[in-house]
This record gives sequence, structure tokens and C-alpha cells, in this order.
Amino acid sequence: MFGLALKTWPYMRPLLAHLLFLLGLAGVGMVSGMAGIFVGADLFLNKVLIGEKLQPLQATVLFLGDEYVTTDPQQLGESLDLDKDRVFRDKSEEAESVELDPEEQLTPDQRRTVRDRFILWGIAGGVFVTLLGFGSWYYGTWVWQSVNQNLRVAMIERAESLSLRYHDHARVGDAIFRVYQDSSMIVNLIQGAILSPAMTAVSLLFTFAIVIAFDPLIAGFALIAAVPFVLLLMKSTKRIQRRSLANRVANSNLTSHIQESFTAVKVLRVNGSEPQIHEQFDRDSKRALDAAYHLRLDMVLLTLTIAFIGGVLVIGSEYVLAHWVIAERETFLGAAVAGLIGFAIWNLGGFEIARGRIESLAGSARYLLGIWMRMQDLFIALRRAFDLLDTPLEVKETSNPVTYPDPIQTVAWNRVWFSYTSEARPVFTNLSLTAEAGTVTAIVGATGSGKSTMMSLLLRLFDPDAGEVTLNGIDLRELRLADVRQNCAIALQKNVLFNETVANNIAFGAGNVSRTEIERAAEIANADSFVRALEKGYDTELGERGGKLSAGQRQRISIARAVVRNTPILILDEPTASLDARNEQRVLTNLADWGTDKIILLITHRMSTIQNADQIALLEQGQIVETGTYSELTTKPEGRFAAFAQSELLGESEGAAS
Amino acid sequence: MTDSTLPKSSNEKARSNILQEVIGKNQFDDRIDTQSDLNTWEALRVIGRSLHQISSERSLFSAKVVLELALIIPGLYLPWLGKIVIDNVIQQRPFNTTEIEFPPFMQPVLTLVQDQDPLQIMLSISIIFIVGMVFLGMRTYGLGAGLHEGQDAATQAENQISASYSSGSGFLGLAAFMVGVRLTQRLANRLRTRLFERLSRMPMAVLDDQRIGDSIYRVMYDVPMAPDLFLQLTIVPFLMMLNAGINLYVLQYSYGDVSPELIWIAWATVPVAFLVTFPFSGAIRRTSQNKRAAGSATTNAMEESVSNVAAVQSLGATGEQSSRFAARSEQSFLRERYFIAVVIVCSCIFAAVSGLAGIYVMILVSDRIIDGVMSPGDYAALIGIFWSIAMPAAYLGAYWIKIQDVIAAVRRVFFFMDFESEEDFNQDGDECTSIEREITFEDIGYTYPNGTQALVDINLSFKVGDLVAIVGPTGSGKTTLAYLIPSVLQPTAGRVLIDGRDASEFNLQSIRQQVSYVLQEHAFLSATIRHNLLLANPNATETQMFEALEIAGCMEFVKDLPNGLDTRLGRGGDTLSVGQQQRLSIARGLIRDSQVLILDEPTAALDPKTEQSLLRSLQEAAGSRLVVVIAHRLSTIRHADQIVFIEEGEIRETGTHDELVVRPNGSYREYVELQNASV
Repeated sequence: MFGLALKTWPYMRPLLAHLLFLLGLAGVGMVSGMAGIFVGADLFLNKVLIGEKLQPLQATVLFLGDEYVTTDPQQLGESLDLDKDRVFRDKSEEAESVELDPEEQLTPDQRRTVRDRFILWGIAGGVFVTLLGFGSWYYGTWVWQSVNQNLRVAMIERAESLSLRYHDHARVGDAIFRVYQDSSMIVNLIQGAILSPAMTAVSLLFTFAIVIAFDPLIAGFALIAAVPFVLLLMKSTKRIQRRSLANRVANSNLTSHIQESFTAVKVLRVNGSEPQIHEQFDRDSKRALDAAYHLRLDMVLLTLTIAFIGGVLVIGSEYVLAHWVIAERETFLGAAVAGLIGFAIWNLGGFEIARGRIESLAGSARYLLGIWMRMQDLFIALRRAFDLLDTPLEVKETSNPVTYPDPIQTVAWNRVWFSYTSEARPVFTNLSLTAEAGTVTAIVGATGSGKSTMMSLLLRLFDPDAGEVTLNGIDLRELRLADVRQNCAIALQKNVLFNETVANNIAFGAGNVSRTEIERAAEIANADSFVRALEKGYDTELGERGGKLSAGQRQRISIARAVVRNTPILILDEPTASLDARNEQRVLTNLADWGTDKIILLITHRMSTIQNADQIALLEQGQIVETGTYSELTTKPEGRFAAFAQSELLGESEGAAS
Repeated sequence: MTDSTLPKSSNEKARSNILQEVIGKNQFDDRIDTQSDLNTWEALRVIGRSLHQISSERSLFSAKVVLELALIIPGLYLPWLGKIVIDNVIQQRPFNTTEIEFPPFMQPVLTLVQDQDPLQIMLSISIIFIVGMVFLGMRTYGLGAGLHEGQDAATQAENQISASYSSGSGFLGLAAFMVGVRLTQRLANRLRTRLFERLSRMPMAVLDDQRIGDSIYRVMYDVPMAPDLFLQLTIVPFLMMLNAGINLYVLQYSYGDVSPELIWIAWATVPVAFLVTFPFSGAIRRTSQNKRAAGSATTNAMEESVSNVAAVQSLGATGEQSSRFAARSEQSFLRERYFIAVVIVCSCIFAAVSGLAGIYVMILVSDRIIDGVMSPGDYAALIGIFWSIAMPAAYLGAYWIKIQDVIAAVRRVFFFMDFESEEDFNQDGDECTSIEREITFEDIGYTYPNGTQALVDINLSFKVGDLVAIVGPTGSGKTTLAYLIPSVLQPTAGRVLIDGRDASEFNLQSIRQQVSYVLQEHAFLSATIRHNLLLANPNATETQMFEALEIAGCMEFVKDLPNGLDTRLGRGGDTLSVGQQQRLSIARGLIRDSQVLILDEPTAALDPKTEQSLLRSLQEAAGSRLVVVIAHRLSTIRHADQIVFIEEGEIRETGTHDELVVRPNGSYREYVELQNASV
């Protein structure tokens, strides 16, 4: 837990000055509030209501003359802290203390004056404390929100940089839950895990000392009662942690369920699967609520048990104390400190005060338990937040990067080995391929053969297990990650669009590009005409996941997005799968005209798309088995590509013939 | 004072701009729920509906009320038992020596202890205390189990949804607490399940406008506020007033009928507090709406970028996406503070009102003491009486303003409960049990809500037993046309007839049971392959699954998976390659044994070999079914019994390949020539 608390430091550090100031404010508020209550209670109860004369300082503060000030040396010696007891004195006692020397009494008019001035001060003090309180509420909110914001942003940055290996097995709702719910607990760390426990512990010890002063036997009872308390606490800690974790996991699953259902909502719709999904939602929702219920049940049961122990202690002590009062037994410190405490013998006052201390002891123990239980939940949450932050990055930034080469001449995969997981069949076994600037390289191969994975390695979404991917002979791992990705443009196979305007979708990830560049890119992707026909042209919002466009339109936006980046490397992953022949031809011709000096990598099934490629590479069994131009490869006797193309074309013609 | 605490950026603006910024209506991400303002009348209606909700949990609600009533008992007895301890044990006075009468309910206790000596009395009372503690929580405090919360509405929701408190402990308090938790949870669960259902059944035409993050936010973070509103409206004020009554009773019993004017002053704070805070209710609702909308926008940003992390990384946009999230998260925190700022202004005014009332009482009472009418000791008692009445009165006075935040949240829930949903379409329509002959489109037109005309004057008939191909350039309306068949979209003009009957006469769900649809885009739940297949047909046998997987060309990779059908797909199916996902999506469509099968560009992702095997099985299936294929590839199209060529939402040509291809200057012919030219 300590280590976990330390990890929060970087997120608090930027706000250190504010945190300290906030703490100072709280201190000032507490001290001035307490002082106000003590002085105020003395002034109002003793001076106004009873009519005693003022302390010199009190008179000065109230701008009153000497006639208000007491001359009684005993009164003068009476320090403020004793006034505290007077406040809590019970009615009958106060009535008795009214009998005072008339010389030392204020006249009714004087008492009214004191009262009116006191009220003016009270108003001023009240306004001050109220403003201070509300001000530090707002200010404290800002400070802690900023701490939380730092943590949230760090978590999102981490989530965005984690490799796809992590993301393929993590659920989106889980990330949402961690970033919101789990990270938010950082705002309670200082109060909930440091200040409150420390203050409660101190007050517990202090109260305990007072109880000892009254009678060690009672203190002994308290110690005995502390044994089951501590045992219970130790025993239940793990259990509370488990419950808290279960609660958080169940809720993050529910969040994931909602997210996934809405992502797949169209599929669910056409399949009429809503009832199944609703049923599952109801189940997940109840599961989450049950987890919350059980956590709370455990907390309350524990609280109740501790309350029972405390209650028995209080009631038992009262019983014993009542005996002592009746027997007129001496208190422990008794006569020795009579001057200080005033209860040499057990009497009503002693009974009341001792009883009050024991009750407060039981109360503190219970309060401490509450803090402890909430703290377990807090740390479980922080652990989940930091689990995300601590997940190691697979693709690491090099410490001394090489300058990104310009111009790019070659891209090469050199003897690359790669597999997604250690158990899985390797995707690449010694794969090599080189592509040169100014050429189009088409990569063909069966579904699932690893064509897209080759591109993932080029973008450094993963690093190869062995071998290297190079630019002009430089290993990608020696370059800055941002350079690598920003100098590649990819039209993804899954046409991921965002709920933004067309223009923003095209410019996504490209930094600052002008509207003209965006439109030019759209023209090359043969998207300009349909975009202009949209309601608001380039400023039309595309709906969730770009859902307002047809698949072919989305694909063209995706191509425009790659084009607008105008990078030396252009990757087109199944760029034309959803396009009809006319659009495909236009797009391919435009791209060929536009990208004459670039390295264009083209992944496709369609024979029609690859015939004009400068180089065709056939990926089979984790290796590039053949490279060459279309005519070279098709004429090669016994060629693998020839066989592949044959089956492809055969497939097509067979379909056509039958 | 709130102005000075606003961030610097706002300081630069003029004062009126600051006001506009804080309580002005802001547009975040919403495209559907854009009119978020509530007037007083609408706020009252939200309250009315909330109260109605509670009737669904009548038994738990009554149990909670009864238990809380029972928990009042210890409070009634405690002062009197304490008095016996002080007077008759510690001070060893005999009974009946003080003027104050014990109330009637103490009679059984008095009978018990009357003749005992002090030590015996103490024993009796200790036993009463212990028994009372165990069962009724006597001498211990109430129970609560709130956890720590964050600094924005979303992170406070977890506590809200299981919120409960019992005013006593002991076994009874435990029961009251747990009943309370369940009551809150059940109310919330009912509501969020409903909301989820409504959201998932939003009409297809507006589906793309509803953001996923917003749906998450409303279901997870707005709903939990609702039970709070129900309880704030019922149990809380009830108990508050009950307690006030009891306090009054106890105090009057002990001190007689004192200073009735104090009680009047206390009650006078109710209308005053209400009147001075009322003008703020609009601002509170507005700022609360804003903070929630900003929270939704943050969730959207996070959901979108994490969900599409592969794309974000591939496009080198991680930095861009993180700063987008950071900006929105910052904005949502800021909006939270704006809300707090309004609450603070309101509280200051409220504090001033109750402070003035307190001071007035202080002057009133102290005057009498100074005049010697009362003793100083009476002060504490009188002030005690005053506050014990003024507190609940203040609660009442601030009641309206307090529930505004909750009303704002609940409005966001009710908005989508009321929003158009497919559930509202012919729920009671006839069951469509089979499609045996044909599906006919009669003068069909479809216009999207934004005015885009997607289909015009469509007249077609698809016969069961045929393979129909819908062909046309991208964006020509092919998918829209196909969507009309399972009533995913309803035509805005004309009718779709199923075996001669208007489709709108049928219950929607039952039509969809007769149609299998393979979408262009594929989406999976991160569950097992089996689970994803069962989504389409919950009754599918394993044999049927393997058959479908075989036809769609999935077996070659499924058989390599370590757990076969029980392999969990990663997030959104991303552990599979895109081509594999597309095939699996086709398999899912094939697994339903329905009369109509629609495939939207099924072969784009397939290699020709798989495509051929798919087509062959489709042709075989077509004998007894209607198969509709949207396709670009000639190989897929040419075997169709009917080809529908569609362009700009209109049908250009229909017929078989052989008929159309010979038509001079035909659109289809031109289309085919282009394809051939490119091969």
C-alpha cells in the first residue's frame, strides 16, 4: 500500500504548492473556527447571559472601555481553555454560578452592548468562515480535480500506447472504468489514507490516556475490547479487499457490456438478438449490484460487530462506574492532580466525563474501522489504476534515436520472425522483402496469411521476435516512434471513422492540413463528389463510427485520409474491397499518378488490382515465397504465384461459367 | 465571490460573458438530446414520474418505512433511561421526587426498577441497554457504508446506486440498512434495464447520432441519481419531519410550552429559504445538465479512441487522441466546478437567511435573560428547541433547490426512455410466422431524417426460391433497400408486402426472426465464437455451427484455434484478421435457418475459392429460400435469377444477367464491361 501511495506522487507533485496551501487553509479554518467557538461561547454564555465582566483582551477586541473589564485577579488568571468546560456545564451548575459579587457584574445595558458587539463580530466571523469554507470547497475541488486529471490523462496516454496484444484482450469498458472510477480515488488518498487515520489514531490514544488517568481498570477493559477489534480488522481486511475488487470488476464488466452492445447494435438489430442482450444486461447489472451489496453487507456487519463490542464496553464501564460512585471510590490520579481535573473522588461529574471518554473511545474505534474499510477499497481502486499504468510498453522508444532518413529509398523486412503469442503458430518464419521508392509492391496471400501483420510491423505496432524491419537500412527500433508512424500513411482494411466532420476524419492524425489539401486528397480517393453532395459537404458529421456512410464511401474517406498525409510510404490494405469496378479503377489510376515517388504497398485479393504493380510478393506459410512482376510470375513454370492466381482466376471464371 | 474563483481564461471576458459561460446552455456532443432545458413545470413532471416509479417496489418501500419507524424507539427511551441513571443511581435519589413526570411509555421500566436499590437499578438498566443495543441499536449510531468518491458526477455514481442509511443499528438497523440498499438498487436496476432496452431499440435512422459514450454515461452514471430522487421525495422528508415532531414532543414534555414564537421563527425560514433560492433552480439544472453532457463527451472521446486503438496507433494519432481526451476531461471537471459555484452562491444566501434567523432568536432569548425573565440555563434548552425545529424547516426550505441536480440527471434518463424506439412500432402486430411466397416493394420511397432521399419509386418483387442480386455503384441505396426487408428501416412512402400483407401489420421482431442478414460491417462481442454465433440463433446446434463455418470458409482457421468454438474473441473480434472476421460474420448469418437470407457484400473479403464455395451453397439454399445478395463482383452476380440494378436510389434495370447484358446502352451492360475491362 505504501508503494502504491508513493506512485501517486508524480501526479500530485505539479500541484504541491496548491495542496500545501489547501492544507494551510484547512488549518486556518479549523483554528479560527475553534477559537471563535471558545471565545464566543465564553463571551455569550458567561458575559452576556450570566453577566461576568470581560477579560481585558475581550474588551479591546469589542472596542469597550475599562468599565467592562474584570478586576478580579482570579478571573484574570482564568485562561481560555477552562472556558471550554463552562460551555459544556450543565444547566443546574450554571444557575448556581450566577451568584457573583455585584461589583464584578455587568449592568443589563452593558450586557446588551457586549451582546450587540459580539453579534457584529459573530456576523463578520460567520461571513469570513463561510466564505473561507465555500472558497476552499471550490478551490479544493479544483486542486483535486487537477490531480485526478493528471492521472486520467496519463492513463489514457498509456492505454493509447499499449500494444494491440494488450488491447485485443482488454475490454473498452474496463478502460473506461479504470480511468473514471478507479483513478478518481486518488483524490481521497491524502484525506482517507493519511490525515483521517492519523488524526483518529491520535485522538484515540489521547482519549485512552485520559481514561487511564481516571482508572487503569477501565483502560484495561478497553484494551481487552481492543483485542477482538484488532483481530477482526486483520481477519476481515482481505475479505473487504476481495469484495471491493469483485465490485469493481463486476461494474467494469457491465460497462464493457454496454459498450460492446452499442458497438454491435446494428448486428444485434438485424439478427433480432436484442432480447438476448437485454437478458444479459439484466444479469450483468444484477451481478454488479449484488457485488456492491455484498461489499456493503460485509462493511455493515463489521461495523455492527465493532459497535457491539464498543457498546458492551461502554455499558459495562458505566455499570462499574456507577458502583464506584456509590462506593465513593478515589479516582486513579486522585488527590495528586485534584487541581487539574477536580475529580478526586468518583462523583456525578467524574461519571459523566469518564463515560463520555469511553464512549468517544468506542466511537473513535468505530470511526477508524470505517476509515480502514474505505481505505481498502481506495487502494484496490488505485491498484487497478496503476495496473494499467504499469503495464509495460512492448514497443519501446529508443533513448537516442537516429534522425529519420530523407528521402526514403527502401523499406525492407529482413529475416523476420513473429508470433502474436508464444503458444500461437508463428505468423512469420524468416520473412524477407524489400520495396523501393517509386514502386508499387502488391502483397498477396490467403486470408489470415499475415499480410496486415507485415504492415503492423512496418508501423511498429509490434516489434519482430527476430530479424528487423528497416528504412534505408536503419532498424525501425532506432528511430523515434512518432516519426515512424507519421511518415507512413495507411488506408486501413477496417475503415475506422470517427464521429467527426468529414474534413476532420480525413485530417485525422495528419496534424495541420489545409482545406485545399483535404479536398485534393478526397479527389484522389474519388470521394470529393459524394462528399460535396452531403448535407454540409466537408463539414457533415459522420455519425457514430462513420455509420452514416456506405461501406464504399467509408473506404474512400479512409483512402483520402492516407493520401492527405502525403508521406513517403503509403499502405493500402484491401483498399478497394468495397468499391465497385468503376470507382476502383478511378481510385487506382489517381493513386498511381499521384504517388510516383512514393513507396506504395498494396494488399489485396483482387487480381485486377495488382496487374500493374511493379512487384508482386506472394506470402505463404509465413514467408514471401515469390516476388516479381505479374507477367514474370504468371509465366514462371511451376510458379507458386501462377498456381495462386490460377485458383483465384479459376474461382472467378468457374463462378462465371457455371 | 464565485467570479473570482473562476479560472483565468474566464476573467478576461466581460462579466456577462462569465455568466453566460457558467450557466449558459452549452453544446457538447449531443446530436439528439439537444434541448436539455427544463422549466419548472417540466421539473415537476419529472418528480411526478419519479414518484410513480416507487410504486413498483411497494413491499421493500413499506418494509423500509416500518423498520425506520421502529428505529425511533431507542431515541424515545434513551433520555429517560439516562435520567434514571443520573438521578436514581448516581445521585441515589428515590423516584418521584422531581417535578418532571415520566411519559407513559416508560411505565413498564418504572414498574421494574421502582423498588430496586441503586445497584440493582443499574443492573436492570444495563441489561435493557444491552438488549436494546443488540436488537434496536440503542446507544450506538446509525449505519452507513458509503465509499470514497471522486470529484465528478460519474465517479459519484457508484455510491449513489447502492446508497443507504439507517438511523439506528442493531439487528433492526442492519435490516433497515440492507432493505434500503436493495430498495435503491432495485429502483435503479429497473430503470437502467429499461433505458438500456430503449437505447438499443432506437430506430436505425437515428442510431448513428447516438454516441456510445453517451449511452454508457446515461445508463451507468445518470440512472443512479434516480433512486435518490425517489427517496428524497418520500422517505427522507418523512423521517425528517417525524424526528422533528419527536424532538418537539420530548422538549415540550420536559420544558413545557415554551416560547411559541421561536417555533414560528423557525418555520418562517421555510418560505424565505424557498423564495430566495428558487431563482437559482434554473441555473442549478442548467449547470447540472452541462456537467453531465460534458461528462458524456469525455466518455465519448475515451470510448472512441480506446475502441479504435489499432487505427489510432496506425495513423500515429495517439498524441492527438490523448489531448482530445484531456481537453474534454478538463472541460467536464470545469463544468463540475461551475455547478459547485452555483451551489455555493445558493448556499451563501441560504446561510445568510438561517444565520439571520439564528441571530434574531439569540437576541430575543438573551434579552429575556438579561431582563431576568429567564435563567441562563434556559438558553441552551430554548436554542435546542429552536434548532431542532429550524433544521428540518431549513431542509424543507432548501428542498426544492436540493433536488434540482437530481432532476437534471433523471431528465437525461427519461429523455431516452421517451425517445422513439422500435418497441413503439406495432408491438401488437400479428406474428409473422413464415415467408412463403414473396416480398413485394410497392411504390417505395425512403428519405432519411436529414432529408436525403435514398430511394425513389421502387417497385419490385422478390420470390422465395430465387437468388436476387442488387447491383449498383457505391452509395446508390442498395443497403437501404435491403434494410427494408427485415423492417430495419420503415419506408417513408409506399409499402413492403410480405406474402401480400403489409409488413407494418406484423410485429417487428417476428419479421426479423424470418430473415437472416449479414451486414457489411462486422461486429462481435468479446465473448466466445460460440456465443457470437448463438446471438443469431440461440437454438443452433454444434453441427449447424460447423456447417455454417465450413460454408463461410472459417474452418481453416477455427480448427487451428486452441479452444475451437470456445475461443474467446478479443475486443470486437480483433484477435482475428479482418478477413477472418468477415467470414465469421457470414457464418453467423448462415446459422439461422430462415426463409430469407440477405448478404451485404459478402464476398468483398473472400478469396475466390471461398467465394465460390459460398456461392454454391447459396445457390443450393436458394431453392427453398429467398437469397438477396448485394455485390460488386460479376462472379457473384451472374448466377442470380434476378438482377436489380440501382443507381441514385432508383431502379434502372431488372432482369437476368443474360437478358441485361445484351441490352444496348443498358446501365448494367456498361457496368459489366467496366468490370471485364479491369480484369
